[in-house]
Amino acid sequence: MSSTALQAHNSTRATRGASLERAVEVLKEVIDAPIASYFSSCVHCGLCAEACLFYTETGEPKYTPIHKLEPLRRVWEREYTLLGRVKKWLGLSKPLTDEELGAWRELVYDSCTMCGRCSLVCPVGNDLVYMIRKLREGMALAGHAPPGVVAATRRTVEIGSPMGIRWPAVAAQIKHVEAETGLKVPIDQAGAEYMLLLSSMEIINFPEYLSAIARIMHVAGKTWTLCSEAFEATNSGIQIGVSDIARVIVARVVNAAERLQVKTVVSPECGHAYFALRWDGPNLMGRPFGFEVKHVLEVLDEFRVQGLIRTEGFEEGRLTFHDPCQIVRRGGVIEPQRHLMQMIARDFVEMDETGKYNWCCGGGGGVSANEEAEGLRLAAFKRKKAQLEACGAQTLVTACANCRIVLEEGLEHYQMALPVVGLTELVAKHLAQDDGRRQDEEG
Amino acid sequence: MNELQERLAWRGISRRGFLKYCTMLASLMALPPAAGQAMAEALARARRPAVIWLPFQECTGCLESITRSHTPTIEGLIFDALSLDYSETLMAAAGHQAEQALKRAVEDNAGRFILVIDGSVPTGLNGAYSCIAGRSNLDLLREVAPKAAVVIAMGSCAAFGGIPAARPNPTGAVAISEIVRDKPLVNIPGCPPIPVVMTGVIAHYLTFGSLPELDRLRRPRAFYGETIHDRCYRRPFYDRGLFAKSFDDEGARQGWCLFELGCKGPVTYNACAHVKWNDHTSFPIESGHGCIGCSEPGFWDAGGFYRPLSAPAGPLKLAAGAVAAGAAVGVAVAIANRARKGAARAAHVTATVADLEKADGGER
Repeated sequence: MSSTALQAHNSTRATRGASLERAVEVLKEVIDAPIASYFSSCVHCGLCAEACLFYTETGEPKYTPIHKLEPLRRVWEREYTLLGRVKKWLGLSKPLTDEELGAWRELVYDSCTMCGRCSLVCPVGNDLVYMIRKLREGMALAGHAPPGVVAATRRTVEIGSPMGIRWPAVAAQIKHVEAETGLKVPIDQAGAEYMLLLSSMEIINFPEYLSAIARIMHVAGKTWTLCSEAFEATNSGIQIGVSDIARVIVARVVNAAERLQVKTVVSPECGHAYFALRWDGPNLMGRPFGFEVKHVLEVLDEFRVQGLIRTEGFEEGRLTFHDPCQIVRRGGVIEPQRHLMQMIARDFVEMDETGKYNWCCGGGGGVSANEEAEGLRLAAFKRKKAQLEACGAQTLVTACANCRIVLEEGLEHYQMALPVVGLTELVAKHLAQDDGRRQDEEG
Repeated sequence: MNELQERLAWRGISRRGFLKYCTMLASLMALPPAAGQAMAEALARARRPAVIWLPFQECTGCLESITRSHTPTIEGLIFDALSLDYSETLMAAAGHQAEQALKRAVEDNAGRFILVIDGSVPTGLNGAYSCIAGRSNLDLLREVAPKAAVVIAMGSCAAFGGIPAARPNPTGAVAISEIVRDKPLVNIPGCPPIPVVMTGVIAHYLTFGSLPELDRLRRPRAFYGETIHDRCYRRPFYDRGLFAKSFDDEGARQGWCLFELGCKGPVTYNACAHVKWNDHTSFPIESGHGCIGCSEPGFWDAGGFYRPLSAPAGPLKLAAGAVAAGAAVGVAVAIANRARKGAARAAHVTATVADLEKADGGER
């Protein structure tokens, strides 16, 4: 936590807490020119409904994305439009109540993964995700964020990771990885080219990611490091929607990377972590970074193009790739994973709607951390299930640990026997061991 | 050799020339090439349907356009060759003999003749504004039209009311279609219309026994399907934003677009730009003057011929005041909104995890 944030944290803690007044005040603060123009230009066409997983899979009109923004729209109209202010003056409009905000929790948190498909299809270009994110600022400060997401945020701020993992847990995994690969995992190495971040899920559930990176970096001949003070890439502040908290979390990574003077910070196989650090990060910090941020898929694809890594052999059977929304649609990384899939799969098929038009796994944007949303999330998974059945894949590959968990749970619920694998691991599995040749050339 | 071809040959037009003309007619109307031959045969058929031409409140410009625009016109000759049983302007007979001819033609050809009308019908004072042989046009139309096979409203007056119907319309002039409601009717607007359009419609009727395809204003689609603007040879200048600003500036000499000089081409549906006038020589825009939109309904009251289409029809005197008031309100709202947002920002207290739950533990 940065020192100023810490001071503010301590000095005002006793006098505060969540309240409707704070919520309305923060909504007034976050409503900006884009939001005013979005609300003004909505033509009520309803296309966003058809783009939303939660509407298409339940058929419930309340899940129409623009409807989820109603509390924000009301504050905007009441505070920032001439007509709204005249109405307020004449007592014709009712102020937002705490009960109304509470009733909206399901719409703002449970039924929105911030996947951005609505923003993509909106014919007048309204960025609905941007607005959901801003509405969450108010919802969270009114005390209406889901308990699961609040707890994850609390753990991230107070312990350092949403799953409550501390450095010793990472160090234990590193030992295993070093034993398994016979390679050293560098820690806190200043001047390394790449600084690797991890997501909690990769530390606990998918340690194969770390060993994959160790082997790929070794073969590619690149210097890299983990940072003991900033190993966690995920950012619950983004998911719960509180910029002040998101800033505290992202600052840990930014400060550590600048202290270690690394060239590139590698965002792991995690969707929102990439978005939080690369696209929202500089806005949160209010300044550009002294390093580059890349998704691990981008880094691997660069290695492929530069001829630093080669693969041998192919995966058996038919493979398909699930595009994580924050990396693909919101993050712009679309082609690298397809090049990498071609390297390791002989029979790679695309799902019917793919790339930037992909359908979300149903668990992004904090939904997977929100126990109350489980039923809805499994209902929404029917879309992915149908896509998978249609393409006939035998292995599902993805590049986001959260997608992976959600996909595994969904497949288990619907009793589909389909292994879900991370793309980085697959690349490492087929990595050609030609590092000896390279050392000869360089030597 | 039949009568029509004899007449044409006598005026120096060969059978080949006539066939070429018919083929051109067919292609203008987007008909298959074989239709040209069929048209030639139909036009040359010995017995042709009778044509009765009634002139109402008009200037005779339409008839002039067809018979005398240049010499000799095939249109004019074909027209001559039709069995024109009554035309007050063209026929040699006069007085009660002429009226007798009309009566006989209507009776002999009842249900079969083509009725061509130029001019609008005055309805004021029970039609007293325009009378022929003591009978009002209105009266005559009501008697003759029910016996016709088809009605051709020739020119903008007959089609839409025209100049006689211009404000304040003292004679109560109306279009033919306002009176004749239960007959196949085709409008051939234009002030005057292009001669080939009339021959085209008649040839189509004679060949196929039906009227060509019409649009919502009952104009033949083949000739009125596109705007002058879309077919205008000056269109590239419009697309590049090169406009003549006056009739004697450099732009006008360079042949730039006349839009800003009031050309109504963009809203006028007619064939002038590709069929052209005077034996396919030229059309108004080619001669340096904008289209006045003479074949469109209401062109006579559509504001000045030289006012650009983009100029507002009736500018409000209050416009400047309204703009200023709107701007003032906008600025005031913007200032108030900035102040409000600024106050909210100034009052911002950094949020922490402690702020995610209500202090009283209301919702946990």
